[in-house]
Amino acid sequence: MARSFYDEMYMANGECRSHYRDFTRWLAETPQDLLAQRRREADLLFHRAGITFTLYGDDQGTERLIPFDIIPRSIPASEWAVVERGCIQRVQALNMFLTDLYHDQRIIKAGVIPAEQVLANDCYQLAMQGLDLHRNTYAHIAGVDLVRDGDGSYYVLEDNLRTPSGVSYMLEDRKMMMRLFPELFAAQRVAPIDHYPSLLLDTLRASSPLDNPTVVVLTPGRFNSAYFEHAFLAREMGVELVEGADLYVRDDKLFMRTTSGPKQVDVIYRRLDDAFLDPLAFNPDSMLGVPGLLSTYRSGNVVLANAIGTGVADDKSIYPYVDEMIRFYLTEEPILKNVPTWQCRKPADLSHVLANLSELVVKETQGSGGYGMLVGPAASKAEIEAFRARLIAKPHAYIAQPTLCLSTCPTFVEQGIAPRHIDLRPFVLSGRETRLVPGGLTRVALREGSLVVNSSQGGGTKDTWVVED
Amino acid sequence: MRLSISHDTTYHYEDQVRASIQYLRMTPHDSERQQVLNWQLNLPRPVRAQVDPYGNILHVLTMDEPHESIVIGAQGVVEINETLEAEHEALSAYPFLRFTQLTEADDALREFSLKQCHDRRDRSALIDLMHALNSHIEYVPGTTAIETSAAQAFAGRQGVCQDHAHAFLACARALGIPARYVSGYLYTDSSDHLASHAWAEAWLDDAWYSFDVTNCLDKPSRHLKLAVGLDYLDACPVRGMRRGGGIEQMRARVEVASTPMVQEQ
Repeated sequence: MARSFYDEMYMANGECRSHYRDFTRWLAETPQDLLAQRRREADLLFHRAGITFTLYGDDQGTERLIPFDIIPRSIPASEWAVVERGCIQRVQALNMFLTDLYHDQRIIKAGVIPAEQVLANDCYQLAMQGLDLHRNTYAHIAGVDLVRDGDGSYYVLEDNLRTPSGVSYMLEDRKMMMRLFPELFAAQRVAPIDHYPSLLLDTLRASSPLDNPTVVVLTPGRFNSAYFEHAFLAREMGVELVEGADLYVRDDKLFMRTTSGPKQVDVIYRRLDDAFLDPLAFNPDSMLGVPGLLSTYRSGNVVLANAIGTGVADDKSIYPYVDEMIRFYLTEEPILKNVPTWQCRKPADLSHVLANLSELVVKETQGSGGYGMLVGPAASKAEIEAFRARLIAKPHAYIAQPTLCLSTCPTFVEQGIAPRHIDLRPFVLSGRETRLVPGGLTRVALREGSLVVNSSQGGGTKDTWVVED
Repeated sequence: MRLSISHDTTYHYEDQVRASIQYLRMTPHDSERQQVLNWQLNLPRPVRAQVDPYGNILHVLTMDEPHESIVIGAQGVVEINETLEAEHEALSAYPFLRFTQLTEADDALREFSLKQCHDRRDRSALIDLMHALNSHIEYVPGTTAIETSAAQAFAGRQGVCQDHAHAFLACARALGIPARYVSGYLYTDSSDHLASHAWAEAWLDDAWYSFDVTNCLDKPSRHLKLAVGLDYLDACPVRGMRRGGGIEQMRARVEVASTPMVQEQ
C-alpha cells in the first residue's frame, strides 16, 4: 500500500512551503563543508555540556547523546495558533476531569465514562479522593504529543500528565541553533522560547496559596534518564535541586537540609513517579522519596507539581474519552483530533485488532517510552504472533490505533538530506492561566521509515520554530 | 458488647536512632458496627490526628532528636453492635478491585478461587472460599514474614492471619469482587490467636461483609476495626522508617477484655 506523507517543508508538487523559503534559500547558499563542520561542532558542544540521555534496557550502559539535527521544524504562526488553542483546551478539560474525578464524579454519574474504567484503574489514587488543590490544578506541566497525518491535520497521540520530559532539549536545541547559525535568526523572526524557565517558575509559585513559596526540583538522582534536565531546570529557575534524602518531614511540614539549617519547602516540582514519593504510603522499597510526604501533602502543607494521581487521566485506556471530556466540561468541540482507538478489553474491538494486527499500532495502556508497543506494518511475522499471544492473554492491558502516516521533515542523515518522520511535544503550563511557549520539542525518527520517535528508541531532536506565515 | 483494649508497643534499638517517622493507625473510628466510647493514644510527642486516604485515623509521629526506644500506648473502650453483619460506606468500592504486590493473584490462586466458586459471586461462594483457604493455609506463626505475598503463603500452605487475609483478597479480586484488608482487635475466650488481628471484607450487595479466614467466621463477632486498606501495608497499625538504630526489638502487649455493663447510675 502506497502511503502519502505530509512533508513539513515541501508540498506534494515539490514546491517549498512559503514559511520554509528563507531557510531553504539559506541552506542552498551555505557550503556543504561548512554545514558539516557546524554539525560536528554541535555534537561536541552537546557532549561537553553533558546533555545526554540514559538508555534503559541497554546492558552496555548508559549514557549517549541524543542526536541533534540542524534542519529546524518550522510551523507557520497561524497554524500554531490553532495548535496552541487546542492544547490549552485539552489540558484545561483534563484538569477539570481530574478535579471532578477526585470529587463529585459528575462525569461518571452522567454515564460518559464507566465507573469501573477509572476507579479500578491502578493510576486512580485513593489518596486524592476529596482532597482540594489550589486552583484545582493537577497537571501543572503537561507534554501533549502531536503528530500529523497524511493530509497535515494534527492528532493528539497522548497527553503526558505525570512527569513529561524533554523541555531541556527544546531549550538547548534553540540555543545551539542561535549559536551555530545566528544569521538565520537575523533574517527571519522566530518566536522566542527562552522564557520557558521563568514561566515554569511562575507556574510553580502560583500552585501554592503562599505569596512567596520556596520551590525545589525533586529528582530521583543521577541515574535517572532525565537527570540532566532536572539539574538544568533547577539551575535555570534558580531553585534547589534535591533528592529524597535531602528532605524530611517534621510535624506535618516538609523541610530541606541546607548548610544554613532546615528550610521549609512549599512547592516540589517532582520528577519522581507517584509510587516512589513516600515509602510509608506507597512502594515501601523506595529509597528515592520522602517518608511522610503523603500525609504532609494531604494536610495541604506542601504542593506537588504535578499532583499525585494525574496518571488516571493520561492512561491510554482513558484517552478515547478525552473528546467527550472537552464537550462535557467546556461545552466546546475539540480543536485537536484524537486518534481513533480500539480498546482491546472490549471483545468486538479485540477481534478487530487481532484480525488487523499487521496494519495497526498496539500499545500497552500503562506503557510509555515506546518500549512495549507493536508497529504492525514494520513488524515481522514472528513479532506479530508474539504480540498476538500477549493480547489474548491480557486484552485489557492494550489499545490499538491505525498506523498514522506521521509527517516528515528533511533531516541530515548519512546519505545526505532525506525526509524522516517527526512528532511534536508542546509543554503546557497551568498556573494562574494555561499557557505555553511557541513550538515545543520536535523529535525525529532517524531510521528510514521508522515511526517511533522516542529518544529511548533511537530518535533525535530538532529545533522547533514558529514563524510568521 | 463492650470491649476494652490496652495495647502497648515498645521499640528498643541497639544503637541510637538519629531520626524516625511512623505512620500510626491505632485509633478506631465510629461506624455502623462500632462506637468509640473513649480512646487514648500515648505518644512520646503530641501529634495531631489526621484522616488517611481510606478514612482511617492516622497519626504521623516524627522524632528527630536521638532516641533509643519508642513507647506507644493505645487504650480505650468501644461498644460493638454484634447484630450487624455488614457495614455501608459512601465511597466507591471499585478501587478495591486492584491488585497490589502483596495481593497479586497468580495462576494457582486464580484456579483455586474458580474451583471454589465457579460462576457464583455471592456471599455463600465467598464463605466456601474462606473455608477452603482456611484448610489450605494452615495457621502456623513464624513461617511467613511481613513481606510475604498471598501467592507465596498459598504455595507454602502456612501462614498467619495476614496471609489468610491477603490470599482471600487475591481470590476475591480475581473473581471481580472488590475486597479490602482490615486490621483490628479480636476478643477471644481462648488465647490461641493474638488479640491483634487481621481479616478481610468483600463488597457484596452494596455493603462490606467480613470474612475472617483464620477463625472461619463469615460474620464479625467481637471484631474491632482499626483500619482498612488495599493490603497490610495500607492498614497496619505501625509503618515506620528510621535513620540509624541498628537492630530493632519490638515488644507488643495487647489485652482485649469484654467490659461488663456497668449499671447506669
